[in-house]
Amino acid sequence: MRMILRIAGCALLGLPWAVSAAERPQGELRLRHEVAGASRQGPLALVEALQPGAADTGRERWALEAGLRWVGHQGPLALGIDALAAWQAQDGRLRGRGASRLNELHLGLDAGAWQLSLGRKVVSWDVGHGFRPNDMVQQEQRRTLDGARPQGRPLVLVEHFDAERALSLAWVNPRHRDDGPDRAADGREAALAARAYWRRGELDLHLFARRGERTGASLGGALAAVASDSLAVHASLRIAARHERWAPDAPASGPGDLSNPWWRRRHGRALQGLVGLAWTGSQQQSLIVEAWHDGSALPDSTWTAWNARNLALAAAASPRPADAQAGLLAWQASWQTAPLDAPTLRRDNLYLRLSWQPGAWTLAADRLVTPADRGHVSTLSAQWQGDRWRLTLAGRQLGGPSRAVLAQLPSRRRMLATAEWSW
Amino acid sequence: MNARIALTRLAAGLLAGALLQVGSARAAPDAQALLAAADRYRVEAADQRVQTRVETRDADGTPQKERLYTVYLQTGRRSLVLMRSPAEAGQKVLMHGDDFWLLMPGSQRALRITPAQKLLGEASVGDIATLSWSEDYRGELRGREDCEGTACLHLSLQATRKAVSYQRIELWIGERRHEPLRAELYVQSDKLAKRARFELAGTPARVQAMVLEDHLGSRRTTRVQYLSREARTVPETWMNPMFLARQPNLD
Repeated sequence: MRMILRIAGCALLGLPWAVSAAERPQGELRLRHEVAGASRQGPLALVEALQPGAADTGRERWALEAGLRWVGHQGPLALGIDALAAWQAQDGRLRGRGASRLNELHLGLDAGAWQLSLGRKVVSWDVGHGFRPNDMVQQEQRRTLDGARPQGRPLVLVEHFDAERALSLAWVNPRHRDDGPDRAADGREAALAARAYWRRGELDLHLFARRGERTGASLGGALAAVASDSLAVHASLRIAARHERWAPDAPASGPGDLSNPWWRRRHGRALQGLVGLAWTGSQQQSLIVEAWHDGSALPDSTWTAWNARNLALAAAASPRPADAQAGLLAWQASWQTAPLDAPTLRRDNLYLRLSWQPGAWTLAADRLVTPADRGHVSTLSAQWQGDRWRLTLAGRQLGGPSRAVLAQLPSRRRMLATAEWSW
Repeated sequence: MNARIALTRLAAGLLAGALLQVGSARAAPDAQALLAAADRYRVEAADQRVQTRVETRDADGTPQKERLYTVYLQTGRRSLVLMRSPAEAGQKVLMHGDDFWLLMPGSQRALRITPAQKLLGEASVGDIATLSWSEDYRGELRGREDCEGTACLHLSLQATRKAVSYQRIELWIGERRHEPLRAELYVQSDKLAKRARFELAGTPARVQAMVLEDHLGSRRTTRVQYLSREARTVPETWMNPMFLARQPNLD
């Protein structure tokens, strides 16, 4: 089957695809320099303290990236490609092309109101900025510092459009089988997803449904509306019958326990919701405010237990233990980083973003706050946009009280500088 | 006899009144008809595609940026602006009367934007995507004036919709051919935002460029040049923001 698909793919690539003047190949060359400052709090800081050099915190990174986007047409067929080639060096060592990837490669059939897509494609449906629970095909990383393009999912997508309505049905990751909770957590499980859209004057209405192989059914809805000349509001809600997330063995094991307490497990119902507004001023300034609840994130009680275990490990490590015990403690502390690998850490979040566009410049400041533990992430960025060049300088700082989860992430601060040339 | 004289006087009076009405109509032509006549210098057809180049210069004349746009203007106050320059390639703005969406490349998301957001930039999307005054404004003839040696008519335009880029426009058109000559564009707060002048060329004469001078802050000059106009009706699906979000071929 795989061989047949490859042969079919080569045959398609061999067709004399016509490229319209408006859809010429486009892309960019980007030079990126990133410096990260390791946190002095949290489990990875403890690992580093116990065994210096054991934690890969990646202090300095250079990357040269080349992006290419191309769409060719042959009658009603269209072939789309979005690819990224990257060369990276970290802490002075060349890491090769580890980050190269094919973001999209899809074949489309244009039958007027009916549209069919087959292949790897980026599809996102939700209306929020900082959190988008109704992106039921794929959950891309939000609020990234470098604005990297997401990678699409393999899918078969059938859609119908008229001037005011749209109906989409996607079979996502069709070749994947139930082979573990990691796939569900990463959105790589096989799933059927549907979206219905209506435009009602100043209101955009969306309804969503999804059935995942492991996570089962979920339903969602979203709206976006313009409230006044300068104010737009949006909201999103999703209810899932099941969800996958990290969970510790209960009760939380102590420092003497040799086993990894963290596992991805299937849990019951989860509610996710977001409300937000976007205001635009007359001096080209704008403000986005969003608040969201993610019921699929770890509950407060689990984070309390996580903090208690971190404290117990830190207490056992002080005074400085013998080498063998240090290794054991470092091993255990490294397990504590497992739940930090989640798109949302705390269930309740508040996000503010201010931006201003004087001429070719865009200046922005944003802050994500987790009220439960007063953790926060603050970002400042300045971008200059010329005809072909785009220069960006951005900095991000994580902070909060010592028990705040965000303050215990491996990197305390990051600085990013990019120079991008579009063609 | 007296009755005949009275009838003759009445008829003469009616005739004089009618003649006066005609004279008065000639003296004050219908403002909406004048706007429609001025529109014909910018609009090729009810549904049309316009290729546009926008060049921005600083107050001292230094070139700042150049952008290329393809604009589809469709009946029912609908328009679609496709950004063509490398720096903005793939961006689109869809306008349905008072409703606007912004589509960014790669995001697959149609973002609802407010009328204020479409004003961002030296040449707002409204400057590029709206070419008809008679549809969106109620005109009033202010009188005859002299426009740098050319006899012109001064029209005051008041927006009939809240979401247009400029709530008030003072427009000067040629008295004989009704071609647009210059304009003053006022935003919601009634501040003068831009001054515009129109450059005509070709046979039949058409507006080839609109030069905008910013009066709110930057003092930049923006030249909106219409490279080509052609009649073009696009499929209804192109006017659906969710269809545009899937990055279809629009050529």
